[in-house]
Amino acid sequence: MIGRFSRAVVATAALGALTAATACGVNSDDKGSSGDAGKSKALKVGWSTIYLTPSWMQQTDKMMKADVDKLKSDGKIGSYQVFNANGDTSQQIAQIRAMIQQKYDVILVDAGSSTALNPALEQAVTAGITVVSFDSLVTSEKVVRVGTDQKEWGRMTGQWLGEKLGGKGKIIAFNGPAGVAVSEERWQGAEEALKKFPGIKIAANVHSEYNLAPAAQAFASAYSASPDIDGVFSQGGALSAAALQTLVKQKKKLVPITGENYNGFLKMWNDNKAKGFSSLSTAQPNYLGVIALRAAVAKAGGATVPSSIMVPLPKITDDNLGEYVKADQPDDSYPIQELPQAEIDKLIGK
Amino acid sequence: MPDRLTGVLRGNLDVTGLGALLVVLLAVYAHYDSELFTPASITILSAQFLPLILAAMAQSTVMLAGGIDLSLGSVLALAMAVFAVRAEDGVLLAGVLALAAAVAAGAANGVLVAYAGLPPIIVTLAASFVWGGVTLVVLPKPGGAVPSGLVNAYNNGWNGIALPFVAIALVLVLWKAVRTTRFGLSLYAVGGNEHGAYASGIATRTVKIGTYAFAGVFIGLAGIGLAIQTGSGDATIGAPYTLNSIAASVLAGVSFFGGVGQMRATVLGALLIGLLTNLLLFTGMSPFYQLIVQGVVLIVAITVKTLATRERTD
Repeated sequence: MIGRFSRAVVATAALGALTAATACGVNSDDKGSSGDAGKSKALKVGWSTIYLTPSWMQQTDKMMKADVDKLKSDGKIGSYQVFNANGDTSQQIAQIRAMIQQKYDVILVDAGSSTALNPALEQAVTAGITVVSFDSLVTSEKVVRVGTDQKEWGRMTGQWLGEKLGGKGKIIAFNGPAGVAVSEERWQGAEEALKKFPGIKIAANVHSEYNLAPAAQAFASAYSASPDIDGVFSQGGALSAAALQTLVKQKKKLVPITGENYNGFLKMWNDNKAKGFSSLSTAQPNYLGVIALRAAVAKAGGATVPSSIMVPLPKITDDNLGEYVKADQPDDSYPIQELPQAEIDKLIGK
Repeated sequence: MPDRLTGVLRGNLDVTGLGALLVVLLAVYAHYDSELFTPASITILSAQFLPLILAAMAQSTVMLAGGIDLSLGSVLALAMAVFAVRAEDGVLLAGVLALAAAVAAGAANGVLVAYAGLPPIIVTLAASFVWGGVTLVVLPKPGGAVPSGLVNAYNNGWNGIALPFVAIALVLVLWKAVRTTRFGLSLYAVGGNEHGAYASGIATRTVKIGTYAFAGVFIGLAGIGLAIQTGSGDATIGAPYTLNSIAASVLAGVSFFGGVGQMRATVLGALLIGLLTNLLLFTGMSPFYQLIVQGVVLIVAITVKTLATRERTD
């Protein structure tokens, strides 16, 4: 009996040792990388993101890493660490607390909830840390926010659809997940714009994740219930791709669908332009991350930075589609022109 | 004497093992964060771990009675939303409403499990959509407000007292008290051997409903804690708690088949999971490797635990 008991104890100890060893092993790596910090005050920068795996995030991550490398060689950034909350907002709060504890100079955040991170981020600001929220923003006014106007997103594309249809017709509203601020705001904007066209009737309001597979299913069932629609208000690229794909597959009339710079959608749009398909798309530019990084570095260096930096939404039309669509790149990518450094400097008030 | 000591330890194998592991983790943690044992750190960490600990306790309660609750995350978000929406008109009333919502949701789950005779995994999966929808009706987009004084006191200590820590201690006392009542004993009996319990005169259906409703108390408190910690409500924040609470319960040695498990171990299990994920943040490890390590440690821990239990039943 005692033999069995001690085996369990040994196993527990082994597990403990495993944890400790992993942790320590990585620790030495960390020290190695922060050694080349340079002599001037090089900043310790962390980015906490609610997701890291979607392709938009991957592209943003790559763009930011490239810019971090530039700033590192200028001696402005000492170390850079990415934290992935993997969809768990409570985990993101833990990450922010850990960064406060570890005395980071700059915290960048792509938020999983527009409100739940506020107390943690405000505590970071009180601790003297420069906090910049970008893309999916928080509501706290104590942090710098870099984003696009999501309501304007919906308003702009909704207005175009209303005009395109000559102010009358039946449409399907194809929105993102319910309860998510970005999705709700885009739809709010669209509703405002569409109200100006009393002749436009909303046949169905469909919610889906911003992913092709669930979006295709959601659209297919809504479309089978109202196959006589004249247009689709879609607020995300994968959603638009799903909608257009359904129309093309079923050889139905290619009604106007609003969209986003999701390459899969842009390619399909390009292929079907000759058949009369038309869209107005916009983009959540990946360079928001770079602007946030530059704004944070400037602010931490003592410069004054506007507390709200709203980046204009790009417009992709039937005419300039060719500049955006990338035939040689995968569907699941978000082609965008880079923003020149001078433009970035202007936005952050340099 | 040494014999008696090992005897006691063996009787509490789960608690001893988890306790030992916790000590190792704390030692490594303290290596990275020298301020770990200061009141400020304890307050912040207990605020952070409270929702998971309470959620795990709720899950363990249901599992002890032979059930499982896949709607836990949705009900937690519902309680959080109710509290955040009503908190400005009086925190106490909001708390009562949030608790009532969670208990009612739990009781409804319990009725379906007890009377419809459906497997709990199916009932609560379906219920998770129902409560998720109700939460969106209450709070369509993140918002609501909790008085900032309360948020501050909760997160940063109130006169030097870590409120979340006190809350957890009180809840454990509550469990201890309930555990020794007729209901508490019946709960274990129904989980261990439902037919036997029925044959010996226990109203198994009532006990099941009571169990889910009682778990609702813990879930409601977890939701309220999360609302105070974040100063707001968010309908989408609860989902990860469903699986994490199951992981903590399994790690603690609560059996999927009911009747076996200790609440003390569940608290330790939840603490371990919380501390481990936190610790990985300090290591500077790439985010994807963090997920791998988290998974591996869980698997190893559960394997160790299974090994130990198997030996006991030899």
